[in-house]
Amino acid sequence: MQITKFAIPEVIFGNGSIKFLASCAQRLGAKRVFLVSDKGLESCGWVQQVMDLLAEAKLECIYFNDLTANPRDTQVHRGAELYHETNADVIIGLGGGSPIDAAKGIATIVSNGGKVSDYEGANRISHPLPPMIFIPTTAGSGSDVSQYAIISDKEREVKMAIISRSLVPNISIIDPELLVTKSRKLILASAVDALAHAIESYISRLASPFTEPQALNAIKLIAENLEAAANHKDPEALTQLAIASTAAGMSFSNAGLGVGHALAHALGGRYDVMHGMALPILLPSVMRFNIPSCKLKIATIARTINGASLCSIDEQAEQVCDSLQKMFEDLGVPMRLRDLVPDEADLEEICKVAVNDACAVPNPREANWQDLLGICKEAW
Amino acid sequence: MSSNTSLTDLIGIEHNKLNFFQELQKNIEELTTINLQSEDQRREIAAILDGVTDVMMVLSENLEIISVNHVFEELFPGINPIGKTCYSLFRNVDKPCPECPAFRAISTNSVCKETAIFRVDSRNLQFDMVASPLKHPDLTENRILIFKRDVTLEKEYQAKFYQAEKMATIGVLAAGVAHEINNPMAAVAGFAEGIQRRLARLDESVPDDLADDLHDYTDTILKECSRCQDIVKTLLSFSRPVAADFLPVDINQVAKDTLRLLDHQLRKNKDINLTTELTTPIHHVHGDEAQLKQVILNLMTNAVDAAGDSGEIKLQTFTEGDNVGLRVCDSGCGIPPENIDLLFEPFFTTKSVGHGIGIGLSTCYNIVKDHNGEIVVDSTPEEGSCFTVLLPIK
Repeated sequence: MQITKFAIPEVIFGNGSIKFLASCAQRLGAKRVFLVSDKGLESCGWVQQVMDLLAEAKLECIYFNDLTANPRDTQVHRGAELYHETNADVIIGLGGGSPIDAAKGIATIVSNGGKVSDYEGANRISHPLPPMIFIPTTAGSGSDVSQYAIISDKEREVKMAIISRSLVPNISIIDPELLVTKSRKLILASAVDALAHAIESYISRLASPFTEPQALNAIKLIAENLEAAANHKDPEALTQLAIASTAAGMSFSNAGLGVGHALAHALGGRYDVMHGMALPILLPSVMRFNIPSCKLKIATIARTINGASLCSIDEQAEQVCDSLQKMFEDLGVPMRLRDLVPDEADLEEICKVAVNDACAVPNPREANWQDLLGICKEAW
Repeated sequence: MSSNTSLTDLIGIEHNKLNFFQELQKNIEELTTINLQSEDQRREIAAILDGVTDVMMVLSENLEIISVNHVFEELFPGINPIGKTCYSLFRNVDKPCPECPAFRAISTNSVCKETAIFRVDSRNLQFDMVASPLKHPDLTENRILIFKRDVTLEKEYQAKFYQAEKMATIGVLAAGVAHEINNPMAAVAGFAEGIQRRLARLDESVPDDLADDLHDYTDTILKECSRCQDIVKTLLSFSRPVAADFLPVDINQVAKDTLRLLDHQLRKNKDINLTTELTTPIHHVHGDEAQLKQVILNLMTNAVDAAGDSGEIKLQTFTEGDNVGLRVCDSGCGIPPENIDLLFEPFFTTKSVGHGIGIGLSTCYNIVKDHNGEIVVDSTPEEGSCFTVLLPIK
């Protein structure tokens, strides 16, 4: 058996757990906190709430919100400059994947210098990062527990994956109450992202007995609660999604992802599409492509979603792709790649970029760019 | 680039979350090493600075003392100079000295030198000062490094050397002059004696009153010739080398010889009444005749200057216990009490420019000290002064 490793941060989970933020920051030596978030969260009032918590504990707060949905290297560099100028210490990331990944990027540049692209790939970070606390506001990215940061390089039009144990935050505070203000679309996109994390990491070549239960648990919770959470904002369902997202995060952070995320990153880098919207389109085709390499595991996923089945393993594996597609269609998620990509001719180039993405490495079935093009064509 | 990423990279067994603690430990280690190095450097620099025997001070631009070396503490024990201005400390004045080299150093950005006399511990000490500007981009303000070297002794020796050189020059001159004068004098005296011998034979043929006149004239010529020869002899005694061996000396003879040299000067000040009281017989002292003559000469010259146009000068010799004494008293202006301590300092003088350089009494002091004797001054302002030289009988 392959030697594996399981790394996760301290996780504080539960409704209202955000109130521990200031004391956590203080324990990490905070005097002047660097808060990274975005305008969407300002309008929900969460930014103000975090600031109030910090002010109450007499912690200074430098606020950085100059971010777009897919954070860019230039924005990260600006954030790092501000961090230095203001002599900040602890970094707090509040938001979905974007602000948290931006916070990771800023932390990297702050203590390692250089440009974000210098750290693309695995284990390129050589200096310790400032202490980090992340507060996810979407149940999806899992970035708050993962060792991944995805930053867009606008010049090359690619999303860079930076992978380092140092990107695992010191503390992740997951308060499901923060999820209720999200739109249906965002809840859906996040949950599909988390589901993709769970599925891809479950079938990953790096999956281990420590990541697999997390992945299956996440798949089960998302399948059971997605509809109630998206359509009714049921608080209990949202809490379950938050658990699922965190579990999926723990899983993919250690087991890695697959070609689905590699393609999604390539698409995101090129078209700035919402990450969570690309995944439901790709996921069924990606799974179908992977069946020859991990039929048993995909059948297990099928049983986790659909319950016990009398069908053969082959049938179960085929079924799961269809049932996923049906589930997404029922929820009204666009399911054709042509809805996102303006020109089919671009696909070849996108696949050539995706094949180099670090996320593609642990995919169970070896895939060259032509294989990826096949997946895209199927989803077109 | 990410294309190099492998499964092993993703597992990253050998990679872990880096902690600030590690960096801190590394920093502490580095700092400890650097600290040890800089401490070694500091000690070395301190040892070098301790080896400097000059007073060293670092001044701010407004001449406040920032730091001093240990020599300062030796020279000014018990004074904390930090924060004081150098002019208040050394001169006891409230504004910078006009000749201060520090200002010049900082304005010209060059090393400036200056010699100055400071009063330290009721002594006048002469210092060579070197001011170097300390201008450095890392320093927020300019500073000045001052070195002060005590050159009092050097200057004293230098003065003595000049004096000795002068005396030697006079000696050479005197020897030449004496030699040149002795011959014509011998001729003059010889011819005067010849006239006297012929007069004896002419007694019958010249009138008595003319013979008396000629006797009188030739006697005077002979007497004055003899006096000239004596003066010449005295001058020759000055031309002897300065580093002569100590010999038994008759102080009375020394006094008489010196007075003869001063004849002219005393006759110029016609109203000065000189009395001499030479005790005879008197013990010989062991010493250098030429040097002792210089002592009396200096004391007498000072007395003549002090007495002014009219007054009294008294030269005495006496025996007192185991000492032979020589005293020069004048009825002159006296010495103010505050100057009594300064009298024997080189270059201290109250005489106007061109009338003395303040070296006489310091030379006297050094000569008397070399003879294991002492020199005492007793003065009342407006009444006069007495200088007493005591030399041990050996």
